[in-house]
Amino acid sequence: MMFKAMIKKEFLLVLRDKHALLALFVMPAIFILIMSVAMRDQFTNDSMEFSLYIKDADKSAMSANIVANIEADEKFRLVQNREEAKFIVKIPRRYEKKQKSKIQIDIRDSIKGDEIEAFKAMLLEHLLSARLHSMAKSIEDKSPKASRSLASLEISTDDMYRVRYNSSITIPNSTQQSVPAWIVFGMFFVIIPMSTIYVNERKQNTLARLNSMNVSIFAMGVSKSIPYLFINQIQVLIMLGVGMYLVPLFDTPALEINGSLLALGSISVALSIAAIGISSLIAVSAKSSEQATTIGGILNILLGAIGGVMVPKFIMPPAMQTLTQVSPMSWGLDGFLDIFLKSADLSMILNNVLMLIAFGVLSLIISMIILQIRINRGI
Amino acid sequence: MIKITNLSKSYGDTKALDSLSLEIREGSVFGLLGVNGAGKTTLLSILNGLVTQDSGTIDFFGLDMRESKEKVKTLSSIIPQHLAFYENLSVKENLDFFADVQNATQEHYDKAIEVNSLESLLKQKASTLSGGQKRRLNIAIGLLNNPKVIYFDEPTVGIDPKSRNEILDSIKAYKDFGITVVYTSHYMNEIEKICDEVAIISHGKLIEQNSLENLISNRDSEKITLEVIYSDNLKELDMTFINDTIIEIKESELSVTLERLKEAKVSLKSINYGSTDLEKHFLEITGANDV
Repeated sequence: MMFKAMIKKEFLLVLRDKHALLALFVMPAIFILIMSVAMRDQFTNDSMEFSLYIKDADKSAMSANIVANIEADEKFRLVQNREEAKFIVKIPRRYEKKQKSKIQIDIRDSIKGDEIEAFKAMLLEHLLSARLHSMAKSIEDKSPKASRSLASLEISTDDMYRVRYNSSITIPNSTQQSVPAWIVFGMFFVIIPMSTIYVNERKQNTLARLNSMNVSIFAMGVSKSIPYLFINQIQVLIMLGVGMYLVPLFDTPALEINGSLLALGSISVALSIAAIGISSLIAVSAKSSEQATTIGGILNILLGAIGGVMVPKFIMPPAMQTLTQVSPMSWGLDGFLDIFLKSADLSMILNNVLMLIAFGVLSLIISMIILQIRINRGI
Repeated sequence: MIKITNLSKSYGDTKALDSLSLEIREGSVFGLLGVNGAGKTTLLSILNGLVTQDSGTIDFFGLDMRESKEKVKTLSSIIPQHLAFYENLSVKENLDFFADVQNATQEHYDKAIEVNSLESLLKQKASTLSGGQKRRLNIAIGLLNNPKVIYFDEPTVGIDPKSRNEILDSIKAYKDFGITVVYTSHYMNEIEKICDEVAIISHGKLIEQNSLENLISNRDSEKITLEVIYSDNLKELDMTFINDTIIEIKESELSVTLERLKEAKVSLKSINYGSTDLEKHFLEITGANDV
């Protein structure tokens, strides 16, 4: 009865705190949407847009072949106005005749180096292919069999290499990075309602009153944690929904969950326990709700920055990647990424789950001790 | 009966209670007087099980407070000076919550609402209540567990006279329910109005414990104090001055004194018919100038 009443009260208070609800649900959803769309092109070459204008001065069969192949390739967008193009490709006169003549590529200043390299690699496929077809045609009469063999060759870098990523560094797309990153960040924002309610209860003597009614500090701590555990899980579901259904509406890859749902639930609950633990610790230690939200906000941002929320871990230098391990946000984020990218099951992320639970429970125990001391001292 | 014997409590080097002993009679309305820092709140916190004493014993209706703290908590209730409820919940939600926490019966729930006239306010959000209504809700919460003893820690601070009187009347009613009331206040007239017995504590020690009747009858109850507006003419009057503007006279001297003040062109501000007796006694025995 008492426990039920405590949980109900906590839910009522949280649901009436409009600012907290904004911070818990709207903020991370907006972050996911913005960051997934904004970072879309930064995470993968697949989604790079290679708009190009071709100036064909050769007007040969080979140059026509090149233009036709590029036009048919979905990775390129051939434009008719050079102002719209990122790349201007000039095929010189006598290109077909003179094997040593070079294609000229003019590039806009704002294009990054890795995008240029990707463009050159993909263009090379078509140049080589056209050259092979030209060679095949030139020997067609003398050696028709060899000519056919040459003509049938398909040049594709995808067929030439087998790419294997290091198992610890798997590069996500923008949605796979943004959704777990902002889920983790948003979950830790329970500090706002928790601290506001805690500080108000302490200031208004309701905690002391409850203590005088034989409500133990343990019961207070646990009953306060349960609603936030639910709220965190609702956050996770909403954010996953944003990644799966809303983000694709903005021409950005949808989130795909490949790993086990048990693992997803476990990491989500464990992360919530960690977030509640540290939030409780700050809430009971702070003198005012303003102090708690300020400290909590700063701590969240720092843990997020260190933990790979703000800047993806895989683009950090090795020393920074090691440093991420001090942040519980990183433990949670790694767990989510393993599930999304490596189809992880519970056994693969068990270490992260246990570390998060241990961190959360320890923080909760310390916060309960501090709260008991403060109530005893009447502060 | 609550029997407190040699109760001591220190916070660091500060002695909040220093071998305090007193007895609170069952069914009485017991006034606890003392200046700020005298140890009243510490005493209430110990009596209510929120703080543990360093030494001394409390016999709570036959129960040893140290051994039976949990049980004692269910038999008592504290009405804190600060409003201890949830501003963002309605009156009913607050009452429901605190009732559920204490497993209160429907009968006691209804009684708490009735005694504190909260029927029409149940749906109202607590933050929108007036000062007096908030005080009544604060008190109603303390009644939900049908306590044997209620501790009131200055429950009328910062409210209007009408609400104060309503609260004082309701406290007197608790006596009819057989509840023992321990009441602390800075307002002597409140203590005089509702208490049967008074204990005066200073620096954590009991200075005096007596019935209100005895305390007041020990004083010159026929005396009246007159407050006047300061004038140089006052110096020429042969009267008993408590300070520059307060004159003490016997009731029988009132008409003569008023005539003399009129002649001396001294304006009268107020006449106080003995209501400061307890205050005066308190100031005398504690040596305090401010309560």
